[in-house]
Amino acid sequence: MGLVVAIFSIVCAVIAWVRSRDRAGGSRSWRCRVKAMGWGVLLLPIAWIALWLFGVNPATVGLLLLSGAALILLPGVAADLAAVLLILLGLYGLAAAFAVYKYARQGVAWAGADYIAKPAAAHAKQVAISWKTSIATAVPHPPKVVIPSPPPKVVSLHQDIVSFRPGPWYAALASTGPQGYVPVLLAAFLFLAFGLWLVPRTLGMHYLLVSRLTNRVQRLSETRTDAVDTAAAELRRVERDLHDGAQARLVALGMSLRAAERLFAASPGAALALVGEAREMSSRALTELRDLVRGIHPPVLADRGLGDAVRALALDAPVATKLDMDLPGRLAEPVESAAYFAVAEVLANAAKHAQARMVEIHMRHTGDVLRIAVTDDGIGGADPAMGSGLRGVERRLGTFDGILAVNSPPGGPTIVVIEVPCALLSLKTSSS
Amino acid sequence: MRVVVAEDLFLLRDGLVRLLEAHGFEITEAVSTGPALLRALLTYRPDVAIVDVRLPPSFTDEGLQAALAARRQVPGLPVLVLSQYVEQLYARELLADQAGGVGYLLKDRVFNDDQFVEALRAVAGGGTVMDPDVVSKLLVRRARDEPVTRLSPREREVLALMAEGRSNSAIAQRLFVTEKAVSKHSTSIFAKLDLAPSDDDNRRVLAVLAYLNT
Repeated sequence: MGLVVAIFSIVCAVIAWVRSRDRAGGSRSWRCRVKAMGWGVLLLPIAWIALWLFGVNPATVGLLLLSGAALILLPGVAADLAAVLLILLGLYGLAAAFAVYKYARQGVAWAGADYIAKPAAAHAKQVAISWKTSIATAVPHPPKVVIPSPPPKVVSLHQDIVSFRPGPWYAALASTGPQGYVPVLLAAFLFLAFGLWLVPRTLGMHYLLVSRLTNRVQRLSETRTDAVDTAAAELRRVERDLHDGAQARLVALGMSLRAAERLFAASPGAALALVGEAREMSSRALTELRDLVRGIHPPVLADRGLGDAVRALALDAPVATKLDMDLPGRLAEPVESAAYFAVAEVLANAAKHAQARMVEIHMRHTGDVLRIAVTDDGIGGADPAMGSGLRGVERRLGTFDGILAVNSPPGGPTIVVIEVPCALLSLKTSSS
Repeated sequence: MRVVVAEDLFLLRDGLVRLLEAHGFEITEAVSTGPALLRALLTYRPDVAIVDVRLPPSFTDEGLQAALAARRQVPGLPVLVLSQYVEQLYARELLADQAGGVGYLLKDRVFNDDQFVEALRAVAGGGTVMDPDVVSKLLVRRARDEPVTRLSPREREVLALMAEGRSNSAIAQRLFVTEKAVSKHSTSIFAKLDLAPSDDDNRRVLAVLAYLNT
């Protein structure tokens, strides 16, 4: 039995240790790992002590199993059950202590030593005593508790309470004599206290988990709505721009060409002028399409990724821009795009509203977080709640659990920090 | 004059080839991918190459990368890069080796075939041609800076045209002034920007671009 318990405990501990790696956030330090295993670590030794004190009975075996499960599956239902079992064990201990106390008061000789010496066969007989009667005898009231005498007939007290094989605690009781209830009482209080201490913690953990999940679900549905709205608005904008821009120009171009066709025979000079006009128009249509595409997904971003795209932004910015970058690869395309437009918006704000003369962009990817800080020396006073631009950026970043923080006291400087959790996809291959 | 054309869209490639042949150019090879372009550039060493920035197989800036790689091996190999977009970043990379023989134009500049062919010949001759879009962005950027503010509006116009890679006579034609007036403006510009004057057209363009690019 001892071997089985030991193997079980070791297996649980090992599994818990391996699993703790995820919860420790990949940290290699053993302190973090133990911390991640939580108080489940404590539960297993407690179960051992319970086994040792109270012997193999449903409560102690249950505690052992549950503490193993709690250790592995924490925070799960097992932890709650383990806490409840601890309390039950404590109550059981109290009842036992009380019974022992009564025995002691009546001066009944201890059967503990006898019991220890008893052969297994005699013990097996005792096991047959039903659970029900044993519970009944465990309860100090009614006072009709039958106290068997003479002593050889005394079924061990522990047996009275739980009809399973008792643990070595009887030996302790036997050796301490009539005062044996003291250690039992202490143990009972210990278990009770630990159980009561544990209950709010496991319940609290559940509450925490549930509230955390509720928050997460709320946040996800918010950002999903934002993402859907943003995408729809973007498509509407593209449709409108195409409709009023390039499409209209192409219609006009077709009409000009048709007019030129008609004029060709009669007045080649006028026809030629019209064709020239048509060419101009196609050029303007191209320019419009180009600007539109730039607003959807800038080609340099597609070609080179975020690093070079931000470099290109800095080159195009009307404000002198200093760059400090450490981005050794590509990110997921949607993240790159969101980060790019965020920087573009912030840069545009710096030039337009803050009247900045100098902008610094710091961009780093460390520990699976992309962090961009844009600082300008403008007049400050930027407030994301006021303008729609930064709000839009915030919403767009929110889809990736990214954040935008603005610190812009009146008089400047303005610091905008963007953080997006994301993985680095690949190391840079193209030279630049 | 031997030309290599790199363009992946058949319609545009065909149009370019026809336009060039009509102007008496000899098309050595018309390719449609980045690797094929690099091979053609290094094998034939054409007088000039017309390169689309975005090419298969990756459909990123493969054409530009191939052109830059070829120029690293054959310094000054004339390349005119055509693109739907002009990026200052790419312009910088093309200009970085200071070797000349570089052009960077929007695709629709082809509509004006006379100017386009002129630009192509200039690049083949070791000149530098930059799209007005690139130059205007450079100028916007420097517009608030000290020496540039001292230029007169006319001088700024001349500066922009110089940066695009136009010769004095072309600038004169464009602004309806005499060549002498242009060279006077240019001397004044170089003095105001504190640049060393140069008679060599290409060196002048490079100097102006380098100034604007810093």
